[in-house]
Amino acid sequence: MSPTGIVVVAEQEKGEPTDVTLEMLACGRELADRAGGPLTCLLLTDRGAPFRALPLAADRLVIVEDPALGAFNPEVHARVLAHQLKAMAPALVLLGNTAAGMDLAGPLSLLLGGTAVSGCVRVALEGGVIVATSRLYGGKLLAEVSVPAPALVLLMPGSYPRQKGMRDRVPKVEVQGGAGLAGPLRVRSCGILEPKAEDVDLRKVPVLVGAGRGVQTKDNLRIVEDLARALGGAVCATRPVVDQGWLPRSRQVGRSGLTVKPRLYLALGISGAPEHVEGMKEADLVVAVNTDAGAPIFDVAQYGATVDILDLVPILTEKLKAAKGGK
Amino acid sequence: MKAAVVLRQVPDVVEDLVIAGDGRSLSEEDVMYITNELDEHALEQALLLKARHSGTVTAIGLGGDAARDALATSVAKGADEAVFVPVDFAARGDNVVLSSHLASALREGGYDVILAGVHAADQLDAGLGGLLAARLGVPYVGGLTGVQLDAGGRTAVVHKEYPGGRLGVLEVDLPAVLGIQSAEQPPRYVPVSKVLQAKRALQVKEVRGPLPQVAGVTVRKLLKPESATHAKMLQGDEDAVATQIVALVKERGLL
Repeated sequence: MSPTGIVVVAEQEKGEPTDVTLEMLACGRELADRAGGPLTCLLLTDRGAPFRALPLAADRLVIVEDPALGAFNPEVHARVLAHQLKAMAPALVLLGNTAAGMDLAGPLSLLLGGTAVSGCVRVALEGGVIVATSRLYGGKLLAEVSVPAPALVLLMPGSYPRQKGMRDRVPKVEVQGGAGLAGPLRVRSCGILEPKAEDVDLRKVPVLVGAGRGVQTKDNLRIVEDLARALGGAVCATRPVVDQGWLPRSRQVGRSGLTVKPRLYLALGISGAPEHVEGMKEADLVVAVNTDAGAPIFDVAQYGATVDILDLVPILTEKLKAAKGGK
Repeated sequence: MKAAVVLRQVPDVVEDLVIAGDGRSLSEEDVMYITNELDEHALEQALLLKARHSGTVTAIGLGGDAARDALATSVAKGADEAVFVPVDFAARGDNVVLSSHLASALREGGYDVILAGVHAADQLDAGLGGLLAARLGVPYVGGLTGVQLDAGGRTAVVHKEYPGGRLGVLEVDLPAVLGIQSAEQPPRYVPVSKVLQAKRALQVKEVRGPLPQVAGVTVRKLLKPESATHAKMLQGDEDAVATQIVALVKERGLL
């Protein structure tokens, strides 16, 4: 029997489906409506109750409920998913292109005998072939790829309209126990460390000055700080800048940091890698400065310039101070 | 402790990326290579483990000749052994092929921990670490920002990033493959003179052999993203740009 149907592997946070889960359902719904296959939403959780009455855009919601499925453990989740997906034998599995999805894709693809495609922003079905468009090279290029079914597709957050992940009725709900969990574990959860108190809550600051790799050195951050001060805002950064130890983790914006929606986001020396853009694209106004005119950040920004940020920043700071003084 | 680190050569995305005539790949001669940034973090984490627990670190360089330079840098930083795995241009970034190709060498190496960056700039399929672990039959945990080994070397306690800035603490049986998101400290700097010195004395083991034929992702075409929107570009020199930005800030009532 050839594989049919689409399964969305849901992610949840505090009893709610995450945005990318709704986006995957929107994608799955579109494909299922065209290809006619059923769309199943598969949710692993320690507490399924909040999901039972949600009008998710799936034909069926399978909740696997087990105390072991609280905090994400890649081995536990992979085991349960493998058990479920083998039985469902879908043509396409949608996972989030998230930390969890990236952990699961490799082992699951081998267990299911399919191929995983990551970084996807569009998915189509052409007969028995899955055609995906993926972000590559930090979002600088797109690749249109094909894989035979069954396949696992990791969907980039923000690729489909999340409101289409819900509709006007509740899907058929099945609740199951954690079958597939038997046997000793090689990866064991020992607890969760909550983030340290933040020095500043970036989500509450109206103006953010984002520093990317283009700032080049820790010392150069000083002029960026001065600029942020002149704007009455705060400095935040991309992951590489934080990984260098130039700014604390609490200043990181993007997939593994914070999602911010300031009134102005001034992106300095930021290329616009998808992981960062995820965290700042909903700013009211984005102004980007990067010497690389081909940087993907210019597709997110409303205004851009290609001058050198190290030349620009001190001049801009002075002009802002002068403009404030002259009010 | 025996650690191995996978270091992949990937196109430097800061450079212009030129699509080849076939429309499906990059133009090989225009590609500038760098070591995959997250693999540099994996190396740093391995060197930190070596400092804490003693043992050896084997750097495994994948790619073309640029990988040899990366190996020299790794040895200059403190790796004990360098292994070069030549990979054809067309197969780079194909983790299904790479994991299959690397599995036997890694199995023979008898490593306690195998570290790799959790993602590579040129990958289209699942992450290398997860595929490798599945092929080796050992556990995999990715998204890590810290690794501690127990005194007996039987388990690792890892810090794994969860959404919202939280960190999961997980205990992992060894041997294991660990996907590094960022090392506990920034990758160390090593002076060029030391790299050149290491390069002259470099002993490289080479893993040759044809790449396995495995069905993976087929690229139909590469294209530049066509965004529905593009920034309105502010013209002029720094002074002119600064004036225009000030005007925008004012216009929005943010001053």
